[in-house]
Amino acid sequence: MEKLIETTNLTYFYRSGTKDEVKALDKVNMNVFQGEILAITGQNGSGKSTLARHFNALLAPGHGDILVKGLSTGNKDNIPEIRKVIGMVFQNPDNQLVSSIVEEDIAFGPENLGLPQAEIIERVDWALHTLNLEDLRNEPPHNLSEGQKQQVAIAGVLAMKPECIVLDEPTAHLDPRGRREVLESAIRLNREEGITIVLLTHFMNEVVHCDRMIVMENGSVKMEGSPGVIFRKSEEIKTAGLDFPVASQIAEGLRREGFNIEPGIIKTEELLESLCQLKSSI
Amino acid sequence: MELTKNITLGVYLPGKSFIHNLDPRTKIIAATIIIILLLLSRSYAAFAVSALFIGSLMVLSGIPTGYALRGLKPMLPVLVIMWIFQLFLFKEPGATIYFHWWIFEATEAGLHMGNLIILRVLFLFTVTTFLTLTTSVVSLTDGLESLLKPLRMIGLPSQELVMTLVIALRFVLILAEELEKIIKAQMARGVAFDRGNFIQKTRKIFPVFLPLFIGAFKRAEELIVAMDARSYTGGRGRTKMKTLHMGRVDLTAAAGMTAYSGLLIYIIIFTKPMI
Amino acid sequence: MSIEVINLSHSYKAGTPFEKQVLFDINLSIGEGEFVGIIGPTMSGKTTLAQHFNALYIPRRGKVLIDGLDTRDKQADLVTIRHRVGYVFQNPDYQLFAPTVGEDIAFGPLNQKLSRQEAERRVHEAMAQVGLDYKTLYNRDIFALSGGQKRRAAIAGVLTCRPKVLVLDDITAGLDPRGREEILAVIRDLHHHQNITTIFISNSMDEIATMADRIIVMDRGRIIMDGLTRQVFARFKELQAIGLELPEVTVLVNKLRSAGFNLPAEVLDVREALSLITAALKEMEANR
Repeated sequence: MEKLIETTNLTYFYRSGTKDEVKALDKVNMNVFQGEILAITGQNGSGKSTLARHFNALLAPGHGDILVKGLSTGNKDNIPEIRKVIGMVFQNPDNQLVSSIVEEDIAFGPENLGLPQAEIIERVDWALHTLNLEDLRNEPPHNLSEGQKQQVAIAGVLAMKPECIVLDEPTAHLDPRGRREVLESAIRLNREEGITIVLLTHFMNEVVHCDRMIVMENGSVKMEGSPGVIFRKSEEIKTAGLDFPVASQIAEGLRREGFNIEPGIIKTEELLESLCQLKSSI
Repeated sequence: MELTKNITLGVYLPGKSFIHNLDPRTKIIAATIIIILLLLSRSYAAFAVSALFIGSLMVLSGIPTGYALRGLKPMLPVLVIMWIFQLFLFKEPGATIYFHWWIFEATEAGLHMGNLIILRVLFLFTVTTFLTLTTSVVSLTDGLESLLKPLRMIGLPSQELVMTLVIALRFVLILAEELEKIIKAQMARGVAFDRGNFIQKTRKIFPVFLPLFIGAFKRAEELIVAMDARSYTGGRGRTKMKTLHMGRVDLTAAAGMTAYSGLLIYIIIFTKPMI
Repeated sequence: MSIEVINLSHSYKAGTPFEKQVLFDINLSIGEGEFVGIIGPTMSGKTTLAQHFNALYIPRRGKVLIDGLDTRDKQADLVTIRHRVGYVFQNPDYQLFAPTVGEDIAFGPLNQKLSRQEAERRVHEAMAQVGLDYKTLYNRDIFALSGGQKRRAAIAGVLTCRPKVLVLDDITAGLDPRGREEILAVIRDLHHHQNITTIFISNSMDEIATMADRIIVMDRGRIIMDGLTRQVFARFKELQAIGLELPEVTVLVNKLRSAGFNLPAEVLDVREALSLITAALKEMEANR
């Protein structure tokens, strides 16, 4: 698979050069591959968000390097191109919506790109349609639920037609339904539009739907791999301060009871299937 | 505890009336003309004509008059104090004196001056509120941006200024809601905002602004990052999704405005001022 | 301490063109020592209802009685009511206003004109109750706390007023799994050891299922269910219909039920599900 983002020994300090210098990233080596859904998880303060802000050059590396499609983010001339490739959605939707009307907000990015009027309208229509927001087109954001606002924020990024969307804890302040809908949107954008997704999250039931996961701890990458493999490393998961997905907790418990259930189950559907097989074999 | 209830300035009341359908530029220009004429008006006749005109616009727009004027309520005490000040302190040689009290004397000139100032404030407030009640923030700023465009040539960053206004207006409601939450959170811990006299209440409200400002700065910072991430680099090179178009309704409005302005200018020139 | 709500209705922006009714004829009573969960989709009126419990809203239609005291009563001492019914908000930044942790937590007792000594004693006690270390954190800058610590400081600040009722309004939003678990443990502990009546507002069925004995479900300003946690969960179809997400484990168990497993409908947590599934499988093996 082709590498979309590649970091080598990426290191970053907050308040660099002062006496309260804090090392937020410590020699991070990781990749984001074209077309994948990557989850980045870890406790608050583990460096997830700092890492994500390097992806579209909101932060420039202290040491080390980060390449987006081969372009170094440290070089200022590359920034406009990098921001066209990598879109970003943040935690609090209220702090990223600019306009007082939904469609105007979605047009904000394309307007910044200096696109012709006809194309802006076309892209806004497309983004509204793709995220099922057509009915909210003329609403002011303060009439929307938090989940809907976050969908609008995603549409605003989508209208810029990025190759990759980085979502920085987009569901942290949403109710479970809003959370599910945002996750579904992200998966749909990946499967149907081929957009690479990087999802930062605390919720393990979101992580299990991703192709790959990275666990951060104290500014460095502790684990990397497919969720089915990572969640088997129970000790490491606990020290990283994470949960286990519900299905894997039950599957592990049943295995311990001596039932014949294959290892690496993380999704409800997988467990369901496995249990039905077990039932028919009894 | 509802703070946002009495805020009418900057609130938009959607509708489909003649006034709502006007091009925002028409409304901005009309409001500007009315305000200039009001500042030049010095006779009761002029204010009466303006009241009639604005009143009929209000009826035309379908905005409940009571609601439009609600925002005046918190200003009333200040207005009364201003009126009393003018009544006693404005002096003009030879003016009729109504009564003496200690070193103060209420004169006819003072009465008219007080009335004039109150009328101006009332009318200015009503006109601007009426403008925002019938024009959405978005079309208001689009209109402003279009009207200010020529000023770019003399170096005024009009697009950036309007963008600042857009964001400020979006955040007014968010901050008002936030203020309400902070006050409630502190009331819940035993700060009695709803007890005590005016001064005591004001003093208690002070510590509330600290978390509000910290919150506002945090929001601003996040918003800047988010705008950056969406490739905002200022007004240059930006295009717009919507362009404004003037239509028949705007012509009708122009005719109405011309008639009103003509009449008012006539009154301003030929009637005797109150002061 | 009991809370009684009688025919309560409430509208936002009453008397303006934006008027919107958010509570419709609510009747409710919460007895001493209960642990009640209030759940409902966003905008269902949970917070507005709960802010009537500590007189942040005074009813216009209907009434609220706190230990028999009508909050509409002009003579009612609202500050005392607010000390008795402690309210912890979703965002701790609104509720914390002194520069250091210790000063902030001491605000309530000092505001009540208690002696400095008594205030300090209560701060010490409250910090211990929420698991904040007195020695290292007393002089810490409020802004230097983590999200989880801030929430615990906010709870401690309420506890120093010795509340009989604690209202917790969606206090786990934005926390990571460890922070969430810690704060929930503090709440359980307070309820069991201090016998504080607890009203826990959340939009997550997962959390409510493991915390509350009784659940009140709200939808568009009305109470649509009020009963023991298990009874409410047994009506999972209705809960899903109003847009609530069932806990993953409840969904799993119900799917297993329809696949022919012998399991009850209202399973609330993973441990319970595990033992029930184990039992069901063993039973099947025995009947082979």
